[in-house]
Amino acid sequence: MRRVVITGIGIISPIGIGAGTFWRNLLAGTVGVRRIQQFDPSGFPSQIAGEVPPYKIGDFVPKSYRKATKVMARDIELAVVAADDAFKDSGLKSKAYTDSPSFDSKRFGCNIGAGLLSAELNELTAAMNTARDGNRLDLQKWGRDGMTQLTPLWLLKYLPNMLACHVTIIHELKGPSNTITCADASSHLAMGEAFQTIQRGDADLAICGGAESKVNPMGLVRQCLLKRATDKHNDSPAQAVRPFDVDATGLAIGEAGGLFILEEYERAKARGARMYAELAGFAATQDTYSVTEPDPTGRSYANAITKALADAHASPADIGCFVPHGLGIPAFDRAELAGLKLALGAALDTIPFCPIKAQVGNLAAGCGVDAAAAVMALHTGQIPPAINTRKLIDGVKLNVAGESRSAAVNVSVSTVYSLGGQNAALVFRKI
Amino acid sequence: MNRVVITGMGWITPMGHDIESVWKRLLNGESGIRRTTIFDASTFPTSISAEVKDFRLADHIADLTRHAGAGRNTQFALAACAQAWKSAGLDGVTLDLDRVGIYLGSGEGSLDFDAYTTAALSAWQGESNSLDTVKWAQIAFEMMNVTREFEQEPNMPLSHLALLTGARGPAFNCLTACAASTQAIGEAMEILRRGNADVMIGGGAHSMIHPFGVTGFNRLTALSTANDDPPRASRPFDAQRGGFVLGEGAGMVILETLDHAQKRGARILAEVVGYGSTADAFRITDQHPEGEGAVVAMTEALRDAFLSPADIHYINAHGTGTRENDGNETVAIKAVFGQHARNVPVSSIKSMMGHLIAAAGAVELITCVLAIRDQILPPTMNLDHADPECDLDYVPNKARRATVDAAMSNSFGFGGQNDTLIIRRFPA
Repeated sequence: MRRVVITGIGIISPIGIGAGTFWRNLLAGTVGVRRIQQFDPSGFPSQIAGEVPPYKIGDFVPKSYRKATKVMARDIELAVVAADDAFKDSGLKSKAYTDSPSFDSKRFGCNIGAGLLSAELNELTAAMNTARDGNRLDLQKWGRDGMTQLTPLWLLKYLPNMLACHVTIIHELKGPSNTITCADASSHLAMGEAFQTIQRGDADLAICGGAESKVNPMGLVRQCLLKRATDKHNDSPAQAVRPFDVDATGLAIGEAGGLFILEEYERAKARGARMYAELAGFAATQDTYSVTEPDPTGRSYANAITKALADAHASPADIGCFVPHGLGIPAFDRAELAGLKLALGAALDTIPFCPIKAQVGNLAAGCGVDAAAAVMALHTGQIPPAINTRKLIDGVKLNVAGESRSAAVNVSVSTVYSLGGQNAALVFRKI
Repeated sequence: MNRVVITGMGWITPMGHDIESVWKRLLNGESGIRRTTIFDASTFPTSISAEVKDFRLADHIADLTRHAGAGRNTQFALAACAQAWKSAGLDGVTLDLDRVGIYLGSGEGSLDFDAYTTAALSAWQGESNSLDTVKWAQIAFEMMNVTREFEQEPNMPLSHLALLTGARGPAFNCLTACAASTQAIGEAMEILRRGNADVMIGGGAHSMIHPFGVTGFNRLTALSTANDDPPRASRPFDAQRGGFVLGEGAGMVILETLDHAQKRGARILAEVVGYGSTADAFRITDQHPEGEGAVVAMTEALRDAFLSPADIHYINAHGTGTRENDGNETVAIKAVFGQHARNVPVSSIKSMMGHLIAAAGAVELITCVLAIRDQILPPTMNLDHADPECDLDYVPNKARRATVDAAMSNSFGFGGQNDTLIIRRFPA
């Protein structure tokens, strides 16, 4: 089976645009969780989020494509920005930058995880306002002419596969393409699938990962209704997200795009590409406990780790850096710890852990950013801090540090799981 | 590499809720398209659709306690999965559930329409043309129900199937618009080939028959507006075709490695032998006019199956009934099949069932299995006016006896997503 390496990383995150900026800020302990800026959150119990810094989407697409940015929901924009960053980082010249790309477009796949895209409420309500009956929408008025207030392409702003669609058009990528929609597990599942597509020879290259924004009223209201978002830290967002900490009270919503260029090893070597790491193992599993609650045994989550390590021919003792999902919701953190114990055994006490959500929030389908932390730790020999993980729940021992530290990392792991019970683990290895 | 076979099937469709009765109706050329009743669509440009009728989850699943809040799409998925599981003879069979996976191409659930629209309209500030999000939040928290909200997530059908079956293996949901469940079954096959599971549930479920779903497609002018004669509204490959008709439902298949199926003595319905997936990378609104991406998807599927065009005895077309798709698909089939193009029967069951969007591909693949089993091809109904652009053998208006050893199923999604599957009679 062919080997697969990472030759490009693209990131737009709450702590910076660009993989380099993200990484510097992550190591420095910078917190991107703040009071929400995109709308007035004061009516919500949770008013904080990991929001990306302001950007102009036009700066990240070819001039000829600027018109199409009008039909991009924010999730799509985040994917487009991350894709631009990933390509520039990889040294591969796509159709976005040259008329003669440096690869066969039919051998370049795309696999971008996405969430449930929320319609822009201002746009939709302005249209609905023309067909109102009191505070209700009059469907007959709406059907007759209200709907014509919406742009003809309105639906296409919100189809989850439009993230991949815009990216494949901008960069002219015609190989196997897919859009995984498994909430927080989407990015890792998409990366794992792209990895296997290259392994078996159906593509030589792929851009993969995910992007999502939950920083909008619908995204926030759902996390609040589920009582997942913390309502205890509106005045102290930097301390809000506390993965595995005794004082954890919930997650902060977030938004991001995190994409990778995967490349078949011999191809990457031949062009002298910079290789961050080998993507050496992947596994996906499913809980069967509940659609809203974590399986307290962590059984299937553990299985994902065990199988991914086996896929990579690695063992727990090889792991030099572990980026867990670490939401900062006590019941979920407990279940994850139970799974970690099952999968890692005695090695759990010594493996350096870095749950990054304290700094960026939960990036949902954008959790490719979490995987980037695992890759960069391996590449640079720097382990990011766990800034809010001070006193661990249930007296568990976990090797975490308040500040970044240096360590030789030969194998790193990134795991995620979704509300709904999909689990995924990725194992990276030094070339 | 493991060989992969289909050992069970189930569906919930606008034409019925079990494999055999729907198959009969398809062969009879009946229609599931009627006036829309799910909501008041009377003034919409399109007021017809192919709704699933008289559906009760309790008819399909004994214990509903873990599925109490399931959305319409998820309920369809559960019922279709229960059928497939049973038809595969898996009820009561002891399986290694860590090696049973699920790969769906299911769509998102329907909005809680009243809560959603009322919260938005109540919080609208006409003076500034913007939403007062503080007021919106107040009303949203009063009106919205937590279960109805999270059950809209596109991974929920998948998560419910895991609860139903106990499957703990690889689990994915993809949502590549109208190609989703074809893609899901293709990727499920790859997981089995690789040996990461013994059994995979593959398929999809979707319902977009709700006010904003119809709005979206109407604004794109993708839907037929032939409201006066619903059964005649969906006209794939006909010169007077005017768009697709929105349907809803679910299709599920049980896929197994050949080895696993044979060891447990399963009845094998067909072998899945080829899969191709490509992106047009052309435009978000239009397909590639020469069907370039579709050509490569079909070619890749043939290569994957070690088959040549002459080996394919039937193509279940994407055949939506839009002017663009049917012309482009015809061009693409000709490009792939060359001189054989005119000899291969091509039909579209969307003429009867409407377009089940994410679920369409799974339902259509099941149709291919049945065509191979019974050696008969379902017709393309409403094909009354020849279109010079569409000059293949579309099995017009009447089912046809035929030798079918291998069949191809195409699905193309908005945004240029192309997926093709090929199945074969087993044993060949």
